[in-house]
Amino acid sequence: MAKILIPTPLRQYTGKSDSVMVAGATIGEALGALTTQHADLRKQLYNDEGKLRSFVNVYLNDEDIRYLAKDATPVADTDIISIVPSIAGGRYGD
Amino acid sequence: MIKIEPDAWQVMLAHARSAFPNECCGAMLGSSDGDTKSVKVAVPLENAFEGSQAARYDIRPEDLLAADREARRQGLDLIGIFHSHPDCDAYFSETDLKNSCPWYSFVVLSIKKGEFDHAASFLPDFEQSAAAKEELVY
Repeated sequence: MAKILIPTPLRQYTGKSDSVMVAGATIGEALGALTTQHADLRKQLYNDEGKLRSFVNVYLNDEDIRYLAKDATPVADTDIISIVPSIAGGRYGD
Repeated sequence: MIKIEPDAWQVMLAHARSAFPNECCGAMLGSSDGDTKSVKVAVPLENAFEGSQAARYDIRPEDLLAADREARRQGLDLIGIFHSHPDCDAYFSETDLKNSCPWYSFVVLSIKKGEFDHAASFLPDFEQSAAAKEELVY
């Protein structure tokens, strides 16, 4: 089973656990298992179309899955999956 | 309410001053107890925006991942993000809002003529359409 590290503000949806062990052969399956175990996380991570929210990045160990095979990225038992926000800004509007 | 401990605040001020006239950015590590957050460590991060950084900042996700790992190592939590507005007030701009994440507090430092002027903290919503002001103590 792979380990998913849970960001602090989302631990209220995982019974305060800072990580969750999940089964799944791919990132998509692992995140699916996570949001099945902890249903309230789904709204935090996915939009109404079922896509990861724009501010959510997923890393497999040290690699952004967008540069791997996205949801189809294979996951091994020793892997660590991280949920990392995308953050930017600036003093003026666009 | 978010309270920034003196050592962390000094790190944030120094980072904002040294980046002037560009925007700085960084992570805030600490702990939360209900609606009360305490920032114990500030981690300056590199502004990765490609272009003029006088009015923009961008945090590399891998830098934020490293900050989160450092927080875990120290028994702390990643609880917020800070950045500066050079020669501009500490409000939450449209650009800040559209590139925000609702999970964290966002502290903005106003740096005018190279010196700290004032600061404010914001809690953006899910739709990235509004940000409530949060009481800030430093």
